[in-house]
Amino acid sequence: MREVFITRENLRKLIGRWAKDFRVYVPVTFDIMNHEETPDYELVTDGVPETLMLHGAALATNPKSFLFYPREVVSKYPSSQAEADVTAPKAVIVGPRGCDLRGLKKVDKVYWSTEHFTEEYDDPFIIEKRRNTYIVSLDCDSAKETCFCTMVGGNPWPEDGFDVNLSQVEGGFIVAVATEKGEELMKGADDLSADVQKSQTEERDRRRNSVVEAINRQNHEFDTGVAYDQHDLEAPLDVWQYVTQNCVACSACNRCCPTCTCFLLVDQRAEGGYERTRNWDTCLSIGFARTGGGGNSRANLAERLQNRIRCKFEFSRDRYGLVTCTGCGRCIDVCMGRIDMREAIKHVVTEKAKARA
Amino acid sequence: MKNIYRPIESVIEDIKPETPTITTYRFRPKEPLTFEAGQFVELTVPGVGEAPFTPSSNPNVKETLEITIMKVGAVTEALEKMKVGDTVGLRGPYGNGYNMQDFDGKEIIIVGGGVGLAPLRSLILALFDNVERYKKISIRYGARTPDDVVYKDLLPEWAKMKNTEVLQTIDAPHPDWNGTVGVITVLLEEMPFDMKTAVACVCGPPVMLKFVNIKLLEKGMDPNNIYHSMERNMSCGLGKCGHCMMGEYYICKDGPVMTAAQVAKFEDPF
Repeated sequence: MREVFITRENLRKLIGRWAKDFRVYVPVTFDIMNHEETPDYELVTDGVPETLMLHGAALATNPKSFLFYPREVVSKYPSSQAEADVTAPKAVIVGPRGCDLRGLKKVDKVYWSTEHFTEEYDDPFIIEKRRNTYIVSLDCDSAKETCFCTMVGGNPWPEDGFDVNLSQVEGGFIVAVATEKGEELMKGADDLSADVQKSQTEERDRRRNSVVEAINRQNHEFDTGVAYDQHDLEAPLDVWQYVTQNCVACSACNRCCPTCTCFLLVDQRAEGGYERTRNWDTCLSIGFARTGGGGNSRANLAERLQNRIRCKFEFSRDRYGLVTCTGCGRCIDVCMGRIDMREAIKHVVTEKAKARA
Repeated sequence: MKNIYRPIESVIEDIKPETPTITTYRFRPKEPLTFEAGQFVELTVPGVGEAPFTPSSNPNVKETLEITIMKVGAVTEALEKMKVGDTVGLRGPYGNGYNMQDFDGKEIIIVGGGVGLAPLRSLILALFDNVERYKKISIRYGARTPDDVVYKDLLPEWAKMKNTEVLQTIDAPHPDWNGTVGVITVLLEEMPFDMKTAVACVCGPPVMLKFVNIKLLEKGMDPNNIYHSMERNMSCGLGKCGHCMMGEYYICKDGPVMTAAQVAKFEDPF
């Protein structure tokens, strides 16, 4: 992997160059009520924004949203009208973190050909966006108090799945170029970059280790003693009922999760006939598993929350070989019932151990 | 790249009422759409939506397919208002069908409940195409009342086929019924078959699958030889939307036909 150093100022210039040929999304801070920085993506339209924020941890929006839209027209019928538009603009997403890129692996597994899904099952809309999307990821140089990537096999820096990665060091960034798409982004940027010094890679490693230590420290109390990819969280419903007591089935956790990929197809009238949309759907909704005759294999909310958490740790592992909780902490951030994935797992593991004893 | 979400326009060619709430439709897709017994398709009523159904016609008939449909929700109610000559959409086929190559030389027990006989009809007709290959075809069918019996005209014809028997029951006594009375499991007491090798294909409401499964295992059947038609709400049929997930299984890809052995690890799979 090729690495160069770029100053903060030159990186702004480089992003400005990208914006001539691509739709470029960058992380910016939104100063809400003068008291909180909540970084999220913004489309570069008129110069690189002053509020560009290239430090901190994962952003509010997870990057699956750039590929798997909350609502997208996927078919138009009858055949007398043109089919749904598959084309996607070339886009650069600056800002996904290590947890987000691990999340995209699940999106790829579900929507792209794998050992489970042959080509005839490929989703052309998501694949076209994936092909035209360039990922410029970032190291985390601090942790949110809800970050727990190191508990689920991750690290607070991107290990793979990016085209270009940026690591903060004094005065700028180490730019790692991993793919041909990454080279395309760095083409003609020689005037903006310099060789990486050994002291800079050492600084990067030091910074990375300090974030790992911070995350480990804040999650010490949630340690279950069970390896993250060895969980068996099947438990009597009353155990899960305890976890669920503050859940109101709002499904915010489903929506902000980088690995929730479920949807519902909805047909409706449209100009010239009808259109079919693919809409994010959420397994916490009571109707999610309901069948035509009125049956419902997960009518109870505790069954549904159990299903969601076990899907992350067990079902995805057993099907795709991926634990799909990435430790990004978003579901904890957004939960109005203050349900914490880490506490939930600790509770279930503890109760199961008690039952065995 | 193919658009996996696009429905194939299909013309309604025939509508045949079976019971007050169940109707058999024959569709002629404008593009080839063939299936194996047990696989399912997604049926679109334009502007209303899609729902999954297993065809009930002979899979060896390639130009048309029939689906026997009970009116239970938005799509099926909208379908009821459609006429011969109207156009619907079909996508598929999806999922796994029955492992029919393993059925040769065996006794095959078909257990249907209510409209659950519909997907099994597709299997039955496929078996009849090579009826001499099988040692026995025993069809055991239960309905709530005589009015709820589907394929009333076909059942006596089936009973005349070589190596084939048809046993029927209804749930409660009824003035128009002289036959067996009781839920479907009453037809599973007498099973003069080689239970080690016999194959059962079961389809019906979830509670029926549950008790039939218990009974067939009690009778000594191999759980690998009991095929259930799993009912889930498949929205995409493509192993993506997640609606039909059961543990790590997508019923739309790993099913809808699944063996008792495959579902044994679930506390209540039906």
